[in-house]
Amino acid sequence: MTIAAETDPSPAFHTIRLSKVYGDGPTAVHALRDVDLDVAQGELIVLLGPSGSGKSTLLNILGGLDRASSGEVWFHQTALNAMRERALTDFRRRHIGFIFQFYNLIPSLTARENVDLVREIAEDPLSAEEALDLVGLAERMDHFPAQLSGGEQQRVAVARAIAKRPAVLLCDEPTGALDLKTGVRVLEALVEINKRYRSTTLIVTHNADVARLGERVIHFSDGRIRTIETNAVRAPPSELKW
Amino acid sequence: MVKLIARPLDRKLLRDVWRMRIHAAAVALVLGCGLSVYIMSVGMRASLERTRADYYADYRMMHLAASLVRAPDRVAADLERIPEVAAIETRISGYALLDVPQIVEPASARLISLPLGGRPRINDLAMVRGRWPDPAKADEAIVSEAFATALDIRIGANLAATIHGRRHVLTIVGIANSPEFVFVSAPGELFPQPERFGVVWMGRTALARAFDMSGAFNDAIFRLSPGADDQRVRSAIDEVLRAFGSSGAYGRDRMMSDRFLSEEIKQLTTMAIFLPAFFLVIAAFLVNIALGRVIATERSNIGLLKAFGYSDLAVAWHYAKSALMFGLIGASLGSIAGVVLGRAIADIYRDYYHFPALAFSAGLLTFAGAWAAAIVAVSIGAIFSVWRAVRLAPAEALAPPRPAVYSRSSGMLARFAARLDAKSRIILRRIQRFPRRAATTVIGIALAIALLVVAGAFPAVMTQLLSVHFSVANRQDVTLSFVAPREIGVMHAVAHLPGVISAEPFRADDVVLRHGRLEVREAVLGLPFNARLSRLIGSDGQAVEPPVAGIALARALAAKLHAGPGDEIEIEQVSGRRVQARIRVSAIVDPMVGSSAYMNIEDLGRLFREPGRISGAHLSLDPARYAAFNAQIKETPALAGASFLRQAERSMRRAFDEGVGVMNYLYIAFAAVMAGGVAFSAARVTMAEQERDLATLRVLGFTRGEASYVLVGELFVLALLAVPLGCVLGTVLGIWLMRLFQTDMYSFTFIFNPGGYAFAIAFTLACVAIASFIVRLGIDRLDMVGVLKARD
Ligand SMILES: Nc1ncnc2c1ncn2[C@@H]1O[C@H](COP(=O)(O)OP(=O)(O)OP(=O)(O)O)[C@@H](O)[C@H]1O
Ligand SMILES: [Mg+2]
Repeated sequence: MTIAAETDPSPAFHTIRLSKVYGDGPTAVHALRDVDLDVAQGELIVLLGPSGSGKSTLLNILGGLDRASSGEVWFHQTALNAMRERALTDFRRRHIGFIFQFYNLIPSLTARENVDLVREIAEDPLSAEEALDLVGLAERMDHFPAQLSGGEQQRVAVARAIAKRPAVLLCDEPTGALDLKTGVRVLEALVEINKRYRSTTLIVTHNADVARLGERVIHFSDGRIRTIETNAVRAPPSELKW
Repeated sequence: MVKLIARPLDRKLLRDVWRMRIHAAAVALVLGCGLSVYIMSVGMRASLERTRADYYADYRMMHLAASLVRAPDRVAADLERIPEVAAIETRISGYALLDVPQIVEPASARLISLPLGGRPRINDLAMVRGRWPDPAKADEAIVSEAFATALDIRIGANLAATIHGRRHVLTIVGIANSPEFVFVSAPGELFPQPERFGVVWMGRTALARAFDMSGAFNDAIFRLSPGADDQRVRSAIDEVLRAFGSSGAYGRDRMMSDRFLSEEIKQLTTMAIFLPAFFLVIAAFLVNIALGRVIATERSNIGLLKAFGYSDLAVAWHYAKSALMFGLIGASLGSIAGVVLGRAIADIYRDYYHFPALAFSAGLLTFAGAWAAAIVAVSIGAIFSVWRAVRLAPAEALAPPRPAVYSRSSGMLARFAARLDAKSRIILRRIQRFPRRAATTVIGIALAIALLVVAGAFPAVMTQLLSVHFSVANRQDVTLSFVAPREIGVMHAVAHLPGVISAEPFRADDVVLRHGRLEVREAVLGLPFNARLSRLIGSDGQAVEPPVAGIALARALAAKLHAGPGDEIEIEQVSGRRVQARIRVSAIVDPMVGSSAYMNIEDLGRLFREPGRISGAHLSLDPARYAAFNAQIKETPALAGASFLRQAERSMRRAFDEGVGVMNYLYIAFAAVMAGGVAFSAARVTMAEQERDLATLRVLGFTRGEASYVLVGELFVLALLAVPLGCVLGTVLGIWLMRLFQTDMYSFTFIFNPGGYAFAIAFTLACVAIASFIVRLGIDRLDMVGVLKARD
């Protein structure tokens, strides 16, 4: 599944004048304005920016959850903007792991079963035990989401996202609802996976300190990329402060 | 107080109802179906009862009647003197064969004399067209409306009749109906064949001459004063008339027409209770589901209302009001549909019964009853949900809901769950987590299946009844009955009628059977051994021989007498020699139609000391000579009647098809509403609750189809659980209903009809499939991004 993507030297994502407009006329909201961006395969990027600047919108379009109003978005050799709904679903299924601020676990399934859910549609997944072990939850496998803390639930969500060893991990404020300690554990897991499986990873955050994790940091405002910094030295998650 | 604070909430109420419009529609439809049947049957029953009462009062329907051989006119004075007799009329009555060119078979008619002095004081006629006969003209006659309509007999037409062996040509001067003949069927026939049997009224003098009855009568009818003791009057009448060959005075319960009406009214009562009860229960369940859902999503609103100081009662009332609104919509729908249905049914009845006027009208009380039932049903449904809302403490209500706590299955279920894929496990866990709602869905769908099983059983039961009665029990083409009993030697002549292939004699006697203190008036039939045409039926639906000795009783008759094989019962002729004897019950038989007693024909003749006497013959005919046979018997004066079995079968089938057919469509429509409504509500609630999970599945890369599986799968598992339950329920209900519909005339037994079950299951599952498909469309519109943005 990710094999082709891994060996492909082309950028994982390549966008050309990507725009997203909600509504029309004078009340139209320009969530994204002409965004041009290249993301290399295996890169870990942190996205920063004020609320409403379009970070989530970009992530959702890259992940095939939403469509651009204009412009192009390429995943390696395929243009996502030209895909039909069915193909986008397949794209998400094969290549993308999502992690959201509010976990979005299925409440009627245990931690292990939540992970199993995606393993059933993945080609060469990790075992549920491996995935949960990676996020340090091996002993809580048989608990239901309601029986887990927020941080634990987020780690289950991470385990669920990485179980299929996705080419891309899209994380929208994965630590937004967590305290420092649990936030660090979640980020450690993400960094570990990025290293181990060379998953292209985009992390949206409001925490400027988290930016030190990334190879590159993209600053967003008003639907545009303002600046892109490259971190010469990346900090390990354990050194982060909130 | 409640009123005052309700005001600002009223707009919210309308919004709530609008938001729940799908559920509201389901509840209203289900309620509407149930109440429409209620209003239709209660209204129709009241209309029939009222119409009958009015008709009987306006046209002075007889209370008692007695037929006799012959009594001189002076006896009328003795009858008049009987206390509590308000009016008496003596008549001459008999049967005539009619030669109607329009049909091949002979038609026959009941002849009844009109009094000398003008209109009848009892059983007056309701003139439809034409005039009363001129007493001076012997050939003028009135015919009953159904007969005139069926044969297109107009005023002024001539009708050839063989009366008492002589041919008369009658001139029709009037067409009328009589309270005595609201339901008209030839003697020995169970269903009206209006083209073959009618009633003819003629002047007393003319009829007396035709029947050699001058200065005498053979029929007496009575009206009693209010509060009269009918038993005492009957004894007094019998005292007077016994010497003149009366077979005993009888009341309305033995008058064919009235008895049929009473049966009909009884069946409407059954229907008024049975179907609506189904629907009210379902409606209550649906309200409970819908309101439960609203209250779950409105926790914070409830908390706010309470925090603002609204009382528990006000909050409860607020939510109860939306349920009441559902109820009122349903009741209005049901009222309108009930009237429409009632009018349609009244049309069917109008063809069948000959009332001067029969209009459907449901009384205020009927509507009030229906509305009250609707309100009670939705209130019961609402009470449990509303109670939960009321109990919420404001602070608790304002806090986000505790997440639903799922638990792992245990035991068998756990082993089963372990083998499922994760999506199927979601389904299983949800059913386990919300057992009450799952049960509601299962029960609702099961009831729909049950309803269809019952509906499917009716045609099967009818087919069975008709096939046993006409193919196993009665294989003759024609049954001839003689005017008076004849010697067995007449069979020789009968066998030589044109086209007769085989002929078998029978004997029939009206008798009173007694066992202990129980007494039943019935017919006893004598049949020959080795009969090939008209035969008895055993409990397995196969032909059995008449008893070698003793008497066989139809099961219903045996039940009425509390008699079984081996018991000795008393038998008494009600006419002729009035022989009394004791006889042993030797068998119980299961005729599909009628509930007579049966004996060997020779035994019966010996018992009544008239060996070798027969009442008629069953014949099988060569179809090629059918017309010749009919031409011959039209001119045979010794015949009182000829019953054509194919025609009887046809008229019976038509009657069933009309009644059962209409009901069947209704049942199917109702079952569709029930199954569809339940499935739709359940699917909507599931969809609402799982929106977030379904969106998550889609985000994770599950296709629409795969996400639908979780939604539709839950419903289908429940529907599958409902299948066995529905089949069992339907069978039990069917057996119970058949018992309720059982009458003296028919013995309905529930038939296990695999086709009916298959249809019930397939149809119901199709309704569920359609409902879930419609709800499933919602998955296509899921806003994945939007759902994920929000906290639960
Ligand atoms: N469905 C929508 N309809 C209209 N406008 C929308 C919609 N979704 C997002 N927007 C607008 O698009 C802009 C970008 O939104 P987006 O969610 O991408 O911001 P964000 O950078 O993720 O902000 P935050 O940090 O608060 O999550 C915002 O102005 C938002 O109001
Ligand atoms: Mg965002």
